[in-house]
Amino acid sequence: MPIIEVSDLAKQYPLPDNKSEKFFAVNGVSLAIEAGEIFGILGPNGAGKTTTLEMMEGLNDIDGGTALIDGISVNDNPYKVKEVIGVQLQANEYFDNINLEELLSLFAALYNNNADPIALLKKVQLEEKAKAKPNNLSGGQKQRFSIACALVNEPKVLFLDEPTTGLDPQAKRNLWDLVRKLNKAGMTIVLTTHNMEEAEELCDRIAIMDKGKIIAEGTPQELILEYAPEPPEAPLHGDLEDVFLVLTGHELRE
Amino acid sequence: MLTALQRHLTSVFLKIFWRDRRSIFFSLFFPVIFMTVFSFANSGEQDPISVGIVNNSSSAVATDFADMLIANPLFDVTVGEEARLREELIAGDQTMVLVLPEDFDTNIGNTTSEINVVVDAAQVSQLGLIMPLLEQTLLSIEREFRDIEPMFSIAIEDVQARSQRYIDFLLPGLMAFTLMQLSIAGSGFNIVEYRRKGILKRLFVTPIEPRDFITAIVLARMAIVLVQLSVLIMFAVLLLDIRIVGNFFAYYLVVILGTIVFLCQGFCLGSLAKTQEAIGALGNIVIMPQIFLSGIFYPIESMPEWIQPVAHLLPLSFVSTGMREIANAGATLLEIYPSLIGIMVWFVISFVAATRLFLWKEVAN
Ligand SMILES: Nc1ncnc2c1ncn2[C@@H]1O[C@H](COP(=O)(O)OP(=O)(O)OP(=O)(O)O)[C@@H](O)[C@H]1O
Ligand SMILES: [Mg+2]
Repeated sequence: MPIIEVSDLAKQYPLPDNKSEKFFAVNGVSLAIEAGEIFGILGPNGAGKTTTLEMMEGLNDIDGGTALIDGISVNDNPYKVKEVIGVQLQANEYFDNINLEELLSLFAALYNNNADPIALLKKVQLEEKAKAKPNNLSGGQKQRFSIACALVNEPKVLFLDEPTTGLDPQAKRNLWDLVRKLNKAGMTIVLTTHNMEEAEELCDRIAIMDKGKIIAEGTPQELILEYAPEPPEAPLHGDLEDVFLVLTGHELRE
Repeated sequence: MLTALQRHLTSVFLKIFWRDRRSIFFSLFFPVIFMTVFSFANSGEQDPISVGIVNNSSSAVATDFADMLIANPLFDVTVGEEARLREELIAGDQTMVLVLPEDFDTNIGNTTSEINVVVDAAQVSQLGLIMPLLEQTLLSIEREFRDIEPMFSIAIEDVQARSQRYIDFLLPGLMAFTLMQLSIAGSGFNIVEYRRKGILKRLFVTPIEPRDFITAIVLARMAIVLVQLSVLIMFAVLLLDIRIVGNFFAYYLVVILGTIVFLCQGFCLGSLAKTQEAIGALGNIVIMPQIFLSGIFYPIESMPEWIQPVAHLLPLSFVSTGMREIANAGATLLEIYPSLIGIMVWFVISFVAATRLFLWKEVAN
């Protein structure tokens, strides 16, 4: 049985130029995600990815359809769902004047558990920054820290909204490793991305969204076989990213 | 009473708030200046009113009248020539000049004798205070002359150990006002700021319920406001020589209850407002009328009749009245029960409103 079952999910927002008219930001999305999968949602800006995730996370009212996570209905029991999911939002800000360790203990308080902040920071390789303020972290460190925050309640399902946007290739690969590690330990992961390489490398299955609808779904191989045009006769070797990595090395930059 | 979750959250928020020490103490700057200015401006007793008397009558009654005024500590009397006194009046050295007519006594008992009161138009505001005293003085002369015993007499006994200065009246109100402002800003502005930064949304990802969140913020902020007010009270008592006659703990209890009420109200405003500008405007709508109607600067009894019932019911009125009765008259908690009941009612209203208005979905997005 899938750990996430979404059927016919819909969300309406008022049109920006005419508040009395509404449009479907999400229009009949259905998904079945198996436990232990890494599932990617791709799509251009404004396709409705974040909105779909937020409805599944109980952050946004569901206007139509149902969402079931680990057998719990998000429609009826949003607070209960929040106990079994971890969420990294697309934009992350934290209280300015407390350090990472204290922030993690705040999140532990919010989940009413005794998670060990240092152990969490170790998981995302930030233990040296325990006393740093979130504002003093680099982009990649911030992303890893928000994953640490999302792990406080040892979630069964982890939602990551564009976790690698704005990261350099080292930080990106480092984050992929982290995601794989969490997934190996049994966590189901749902992520959105604009990075095709990321989707291909990391995801077991992918859904492509546009204008609030899912327009394609399958493993990366299936999608490539079905939709990608034939490659040219003499393909180039590698791509620019490989060049960048050869020149700058795989070491993670701080 | 508090759950472990609420205690833990409160301590974390306390740490967050306390880190911001600069603004905690900077926000005391204005109240301190205010209190200092008021205490120096009102440190002296009420100045006596300068009155000039031109006595055109040579009768004993006229002299009696002048002597009675001279004996009254409220007046600083100069007897002299009309021309000179008029000049002094114009120069502002006299508040008014009384001209006693030549026939001051001969008419008594037959017709009314007219005293000419010369005042500077700029001083008319004093007339309301002076005229009753003049009439009073004239009345007692008349009684003496006609040999009538007064039907009533008023014996005024000073029950307070020392005369009350305006600053003593003002301080509890000022404290109440300050605690209202610190509290409403403390919770309201925080909420709007957290929303703007997306922090509320991040918190909403966790299963925390609004009730726990509000309780934790209110308690943590209350601790900060109590520290702020304690600094102010110490400043007032030690440096401005202001006395709190009643029980200190009773005084603090009213402070604590008042703080909680206004923190909850700040929460309501923070939930309604989307921007800092909006919360500023909403805050003023709540704060401004209470500054004028809650008996902070002058007693509610001195306001127009029709507004008094409303004024008495304002949350700040209950808080400031309670604090004032304890500080000035040494009232016990039992004696100020009307204020306490009022505060409790406002607490229930404000807390319920805060939890109703603070919906994560709306406030966090
Ligand atoms: N609170 C809101 N009010 C009105 N419209 C909204 C709101 N949030 C999102 N929308 C609209 O809904 C649509 C879907 O937005 P969403 O954020 O889900 O897109 P997305 O796929 O996550 O895009 P991106 O790749 O840029 O993150 C967009 O047209 C957006 O403008
Ligand atoms: Mg998005």
